[in-house]
Amino acid sequence: MQVYSIPKSIKKDSKFTFCKGCDHGVAIKLIAEIIDELNLKDDTIAVSSSGCSVLLYNFLDVDCLEAPHGRACAVATGIKRAHKARKDDKFVFTYQGDGDFASIGLGESMHSALRGENITAICINNTNYGMTGGQMGPTSTMGQYTTTSPLGRNKEYHGFPIKTAEQIALCDGTQFSARVALYDIKNILRAKKIIKKAFECQKNNKGFSFVEILSSCPTNWKLSPQDSHTKIKDELTKIYPLDIFKDTTND
Amino acid sequence: MSYIKIDKDKCKSCYLCMDVCPYKLIKKSNNIGTTGEYTVEFSDSEKKCIGCAQCAIVCPEIAIIEVNRE
Ligand SMILES: Cc1ncc(C[n+]2csc(CCOP(=O)(O)OP(=O)(O)O)c2C)c(N)n1
Ligand code: SF4
Ligand code: SF4
Ligand code: SF4
Ligand SMILES: [Mg+2]
Repeated sequence: MQVYSIPKSIKKDSKFTFCKGCDHGVAIKLIAEIIDELNLKDDTIAVSSSGCSVLLYNFLDVDCLEAPHGRACAVATGIKRAHKARKDDKFVFTYQGDGDFASIGLGESMHSALRGENITAICINNTNYGMTGGQMGPTSTMGQYTTTSPLGRNKEYHGFPIKTAEQIALCDGTQFSARVALYDIKNILRAKKIIKKAFECQKNNKGFSFVEILSSCPTNWKLSPQDSHTKIKDELTKIYPLDIFKDTTND
Repeated sequence: MSYIKIDKDKCKSCYLCMDVCPYKLIKKSNNIGTTGEYTVEFSDSEKKCIGCAQCAIVCPEIAIIEVNRE
């Protein structure tokens, strides 16, 4: 019996172009599996963003639009509302980096949550601007060395990092907000369950759903894939706890 | 007999699958892949594979393209 095969929602013959051991690949694989399981392939419009997430349309076999940096939730809002007005409802989700969602796009992201926009946002938190070479991002941790914080992030000069999933949970329009990680089998399976729940939130017309994924960036962290996972397990989950911060999908 | 299939052209030699297999059935091969390192191969002469799919679940490249369980 075949117990694992390539998800149907992954484009035929496509190869991920992420760096070796990068969790972006695991995240996209989970999303594809969930699209298959919820039978959403023909009704989905994905919105990708600037950053390593940008090439989503090369990997997922669904309609996809690339939003300018930070604007994915605003673009998704337009797509969702326009299709709804035509009585042709679509499943609309964004796939964004932490810099995209929580820095340049924080206004768009948070106001989509406050409006209770019936879309799902996925944010890959790798604690830096990965694609552009590892600059300090809104989620870079205190003391973290990046190309723009060569002496480490410090509170006097840079201020504090944002706990995105907790902040989004505070928005009254948010129905579901959670943080997951992908550093081992148990967490990958948990992440899948939680992303599925966020997708179901939209499917059931409940309102804004959000999942922050703690994700490795071996290249800019200058660590092996294995050590990157250890860093997430031992360091990042202490700063960014794995939890469901809001879930009113059963109310 | 359980077994897996690996697409060596997709493998980026991260070796996360090797770490996770409970019976250490995934090994470096002689093939050099896109990252300039050895890609992996499935080697199970004693038929130990249980088809648990842990290797496929952790692979970030979907390079483990099939897991068959018996
Ligand atoms: C308006 C604008 N400003 C700056 C950039 C350059 N830029 C491209 S990707 C990126 C950072 C992306 O970081 P993040 O969202 O965390 O994604 P990651 O690559 O880490 O997954 C920046 C600053 C841009 N494309 N557009
Ligand atoms: S730069 Fe970082 S996040 Fe981007 S593909 Fe490479 S490892 Fe992944
Ligand atoms: S299916 Fe399980 S036992 Fe078989 S190779 Fe993969 S990890 Fe090892
Ligand atoms: S996890 Fe995938 S990419 Fe990494 S070594 Fe194994 S087969 Fe290759
Ligand atoms: Mg980032």
